Amino acid sequence: MGRHEHARNLALLGALGLALGFLPPMLSVYLRSFALFTMMYVVLALSWNIISGFTGYTSFGHVAFYGIGAYACAILVTDYGWPWLPTLAVGALVAAVAAVALGYPVLRLKGPYFAIAMLGAAEGTRVVATVWDGLTHGGLGISLPSAETSLPTYYAMLALMVVTIAVTYAIGHSRFGVRLNAIREDEVAAEALGIDTTLYKLAAFTLSGVFPAVAGGIQAYKVLYIDPPSVFFVQITIAMALMSMLGGKGTVIGPIVGAVILYTVQELTWVNFPTAHLIAYGLFIVLVARFMPRGLVGFAIDRGWARKGMVH
Amino acid sequence: MERSEVRRLYLLAAFLVCAYALPFVVGAWAGTVRFDERWLANLATVVIAGVMQGGVYAMFAVGLTLIFGVMRIINAAHGEMVMLGAYLTWVCFFYLGVDPLLSIVLTLPVAFLFGLAMQKLLLDAVVGQPELTGLLITFGLGLVMIYTVELVFTTDFRTIPYAPGTVQLTSTIAVGQNRVISFVMALVITAAVYVFLQQSRLGKAVRATAVNAEVAMVCGINVRRVYLLTTGLAVALAAAGGALVSIQFGFNPETGVVYTLQAFAIIILGGRGNYVGALIGGLMLAVLENLVSLMVPNGTAMVELASYGLMIFVLLIRPAGLMGLRED
Repeated sequence: MGRHEHARNLALLGALGLALGFLPPMLSVYLRSFALFTMMYVVLALSWNIISGFTGYTSFGHVAFYGIGAYACAILVTDYGWPWLPTLAVGALVAAVAAVALGYPVLRLKGPYFAIAMLGAAEGTRVVATVWDGLTHGGLGISLPSAETSLPTYYAMLALMVVTIAVTYAIGHSRFGVRLNAIREDEVAAEALGIDTTLYKLAAFTLSGVFPAVAGGIQAYKVLYIDPPSVFFVQITIAMALMSMLGGKGTVIGPIVGAVILYTVQELTWVNFPTAHLIAYGLFIVLVARFMPRGLVGFAIDRGWARKGMVH
Repeated sequence: MERSEVRRLYLLAAFLVCAYALPFVVGAWAGTVRFDERWLANLATVVIAGVMQGGVYAMFAVGLTLIFGVMRIINAAHGEMVMLGAYLTWVCFFYLGVDPLLSIVLTLPVAFLFGLAMQKLLLDAVVGQPELTGLLITFGLGLVMIYTVELVFTTDFRTIPYAPGTVQLTSTIAVGQNRVISFVMALVITAAVYVFLQQSRLGKAVRATAVNAEVAMVCGINVRRVYLLTTGLAVALAAAGGALVSIQFGFNPETGVVYTLQAFAIIILGGRGNYVGALIGGLMLAVLENLVSLMVPNGTAMVELASYGLMIFVLLIRPAGLMGLRED
């Protein structure tokens, strides 16, 4: 891809950011929060995609980082009286440290073992958050001091989304990204070519943990109440994986498209079928995984609607 | 065996000793451990109850290890199959008045057919694909099962009053009758499946496919049929586990998740695809859980943490578990 195309894509991203930046006054409260959560899922899906799509290590416990970020924000704001924005940085830092500490041993596991270990790690973190009352207020959860937060959180999430897209795009078009792909395709061969696979995997894992932590912090400040089951919810991990798969994992555009489509569908079914929406959601997961494992991007490539390089 | 392998096994053994010692240490620190006669009797009761419970755990974990071993698919809906078995038993008991043990005769064929359908419609397309596809497909299936059951039976906890008496082993140590019955039934069913896998032609085909599907195919084994049989058996084992769980514990549509994670921990501990390993893993996990809930304060949450911790550390020390083959 030439410099020309990079410039075009960058301009597109800037235009998207600007357009979304001017949107809030025109939106109702409901639509504004809908837009915020759509952007949040774009961030989550893209981050998951860095370790699981580019590098091929399927994380089934990525919600742990999201929960860590949410708790860092809630604890610092409520118990220590911090202003809101710096807590996001603390959340990102804690998540990065957790990612390195967890990733170093766990990234040695392959395939399904890595997935199961991550699932166990996320559930374990949830239990720790429940049991450690002194720090986390235990199962009661934390109520943040009430404030009008819908506008600042909207802009924060927008900024985070633009940064996440830019970073993922940069990874996708750099040597770093190519090496991650090499690890995904054949780790032994990648190692033999002189790639320090441990270091690269760890870097990808840490990057993919930082953004969800910030998103979790923003979400906590938006909703103003968190408890362990809601911020360590397994289905958030599933959503990240499903969105990436629906769009096309291992690409940049895929998770974005997948997140927007899936979150919209979820919201519509929830509004229209309040009792059966989770059954419909389950069916949707089954159908996507069964018939579209390579996602919409793969679907488009197969039919010649898109060039392989274009969607990256 | 290579030296590094031996070292890893020693390390695993050392870790397990520590894992079992930990609840005692925490208990001593929190003051729940008193070495008087009553406490020792409590301890013995808890360990025996753990062994009984472990037999049932082992039975449904064997189902998970079968699917994982033969097809390399992680069935994230396994606990929901257990839950389904419990509800089938409950329906048989309350609407048809069938004895829970007798109703296994009814529920097993239903579960087996369910497994066949699941294999045909969903899993056949997933074999050999990246693990994410199988995980998502089974997770989605689990969601559909949970919320369909919830729609029909609501989220209320159900119990089946069955054999409420106790068996006195000594004057101070007693075990619930229902636990003993469940344990014996679980052993019988697990042993029957084991003999089937070891002795019969079809069982040997299943094991051969687990070792190497391609070579099995070359040898003239109909691998697709083996897959069908495997999933059918696995779901039947899970449903039987559900029947035996239902006469001991309360259940609601969402209890399945816990059983899924326990089954994961068990097959990791025992070794992927290893039948005897799953049995040992089931007993060990249940005993550990009961020790934790006896001695560690804040028991119920800590029980969960114990099984996740066990799972992760065993994975890190020796991914093949206690009995599994080394995997590259």
